[in-house]
Amino acid sequence: MKKVIAIGLDGFEPKIAEEMIAQGELPNLMKLQEQGGYSRLGTTYSAQTPVAWSTFSTGTNPGGHGIFDFLTRDPNTYLPIMALSRYEQKNAFVLPKVVNLRRGTPFWDLLSARDVQSTMLRVPCAYPPDQVKGRMLSGVGVPDLRGGFGTPTFYSSRTDIHADQSEKVVTVSVDKDRIATHVIGPRDPKTMSDHKFDINIQVVKAENKIIITSQGQPDKFEVKLGKWSKWLKVKFKVGMMQYVSGIVRFNLRQLEPDFELYASPVNFETAEPLFPISSPKEYAHELAMKVGRYYTAGMAEDHDGLNLNRFDEATYLDQCNIVMRERRRMMEFELDRFESGYFFCLFDTPDRLAHMFWRFREPDHPSNQHHGYNLEFANAIEEHYRECDTVVGEAMKYVDDETFFITLSDHGMNSFQRGLNLNTWLYENGFLALKAGSSSGDGGDFFENVDWDKTKAYAMGLGCIFLNIKGRESNGILNEDEAESVRDGIVSGLTGLMDTDRSAVAVRSVVRREQVYNGPYVSEAPDLLVNFSEGYRVSWDTPLGGVPQGLFVDNHKKWGGDHVIDPVLSSGVLFMNQKFRTESPSLLDLAPTILNSLGVPKGAEMEGRDLLS
Amino acid sequence: MNVLVLNFQGAEPKTLFSDERLENLHRLMDMGCYGELSSSSEWNVLARQENHTLILMEFFQQADKLCVDITDPVTLREKLSVGDWDYLQFTAASFPADTWSADDYLRLENELGEILQDLDDDTIITILGKNCFVLVSANNPISGEHKGGSSADIAPTLAQLAGYPLPSVTEGNSWVAGMDLNSASGLTTDEQEILRDRLSGLGYI
Repeated sequence: MKKVIAIGLDGFEPKIAEEMIAQGELPNLMKLQEQGGYSRLGTTYSAQTPVAWSTFSTGTNPGGHGIFDFLTRDPNTYLPIMALSRYEQKNAFVLPKVVNLRRGTPFWDLLSARDVQSTMLRVPCAYPPDQVKGRMLSGVGVPDLRGGFGTPTFYSSRTDIHADQSEKVVTVSVDKDRIATHVIGPRDPKTMSDHKFDINIQVVKAENKIIITSQGQPDKFEVKLGKWSKWLKVKFKVGMMQYVSGIVRFNLRQLEPDFELYASPVNFETAEPLFPISSPKEYAHELAMKVGRYYTAGMAEDHDGLNLNRFDEATYLDQCNIVMRERRRMMEFELDRFESGYFFCLFDTPDRLAHMFWRFREPDHPSNQHHGYNLEFANAIEEHYRECDTVVGEAMKYVDDETFFITLSDHGMNSFQRGLNLNTWLYENGFLALKAGSSSGDGGDFFENVDWDKTKAYAMGLGCIFLNIKGRESNGILNEDEAESVRDGIVSGLTGLMDTDRSAVAVRSVVRREQVYNGPYVSEAPDLLVNFSEGYRVSWDTPLGGVPQGLFVDNHKKWGGDHVIDPVLSSGVLFMNQKFRTESPSLLDLAPTILNSLGVPKGAEMEGRDLLS
Repeated sequence: MNVLVLNFQGAEPKTLFSDERLENLHRLMDMGCYGELSSSSEWNVLARQENHTLILMEFFQQADKLCVDITDPVTLREKLSVGDWDYLQFTAASFPADTWSADDYLRLENELGEILQDLDDDTIITILGKNCFVLVSANNPISGEHKGGSSADIAPTLAQLAGYPLPSVTEGNSWVAGMDLNSASGLTTDEQEILRDRLSGLGYI
């Protein structure tokens, strides 16, 4: 083959897709299924975007690429940390460098070595980007300007609004229809205070709009009530002569009685990103010159704004549409000039949208008791899937006789109605100890009250359990033999755990890392992985090390769908325009399949098979 | 704490402090203090009673510290990567003693970029230009522009930041005399706050 075109639809759920195809609702995917074939696609332990796409790119299980979860822990401090990349600074006088923690060899390295060009848009776990022959724009893993997955700001004239942990709140006062405020930028590492960029807001109540003026670009623009604004380019003075630029979008929520304005996380600006987000470095900006400014943060969709009720579902859908439109422009621009080699474009929105709209599929979802049920959104996911099908159709227009065409998702999507407080289970069963005088429910995140000298195991991330091992954890207490018996105890105690309130099995199984991983990075993996049933997940308090009271809790957040359950129940989809071996294909198989079709032998570490042979 | 002194005698303060290309230098200025100097005497002169003077390096030598005085950038690179020195003084002989071109400033910037790679966090860095300085030290309580300093103040200031008792009389005055020095680690950071920033917005948590 001369060309491979792969379209990624993050979190595209097979059960929904299959039903819609059966009803003829996804004509392009149906056409692919008829031409080549369709199968569910086996995902990774665990079924998460960074883990799964890293297996797609390297053709190895996570033990071969080192990405096991969004989060890991620092064994010296027990603190949860980002597992996708790390900042390294040789000393205090030089700039930090970002290091990608996805290791292994992605298949585009092998293509580059053979002079085969790749064009890749929004590649997860490629921050900083891999050096490729061709072009790469990094996706999930690129932070916002504050260095996180994304911190929005909510401006309000009310004084009783308090910031949740994943947002900033700025209290403003309206004086003769004018507001002087600022956009919040990166934190100053020395003073810990936030860098600010001043903006002035003129309130025009009669026209339901505001006018924002600043030293940014554009220096003056309107924001209409309920609508997403254009991008504002801002510049933070972070040193005497040092500036960092970013882009931000606003959504005006309300003018009366209280003023309310939402600002997106500040994204890197493509001309001067804080750290490179594309290969070659200039590519991100060249692309922006052609298709317009775009979200650069790995998490482009503002799910936080909706989750925290800073805006409503319709506003979130509008924003998702903006992301989809810009991604489609990128895809079409690149496909127009794509001549040979490998093309990839990832659409993240099906995942981010389904997380937030799943609850409307289930009127009895506990989230609806808090946020209300709205029939209008019952088919929001299906509607979005129809758009995804249209996108696939657009890409298929570029298929000729020498094109191998693939559409896939990294995992599926499911209901998330109930959460398990995994640390509380460990506590109640004698594996995790709390400091004298405290009990579950007393402390906050970050294992606040945990007594490490007596703790055998702790949970963090999205279903990871680590043992407290001597010589590995800073206060480790278990030697090898003890660790084995602790693991046995947790496996037997947790497997088949019942949610007695619902008379349902919440935990299907618990696996030891060596059962599901092999390769050079297994030693970095969690010691145990918990496989949940449909409808369950770790509770909201678990990922950052909370030990709340009670084992099971209803999920009351608008984030009512999730996929970090038993991977067997969280497969993705695979459509190809060539006949392929449909008996249990997995993400491991894509790298060898793509390489082979372009005439390049698969890498020595790659574990999968060529699905076309 | 070791002391690194970089002499770029011909570099004018006006350009050093304002040329936008000098990113490394300006980062150092942000981390420490900088300013112009009145040139009352040699920058490195310390004095004892009865007018017996010694230069800064001799002061370190008398304390049995490893001192190096070099002019050659290749040797400088070697010394920095091995790290076998307590006091290192580098006079950039390949730069003009007077009247720098725009290129010379860019060369300084690049040279500085290389030099910084091999330092420890607690190194005291002093860059000297034509009657001007940049001084970075994790324990230095002075930040931003420091006005009214004289060349002779550099030596006592460095000696004090490095933790040496000053001779009973010095020609200049230590700028940090009587001040509480910052704790050696310098930066105070609230780890959990930064952590929350980093993890904020993940959605799954």
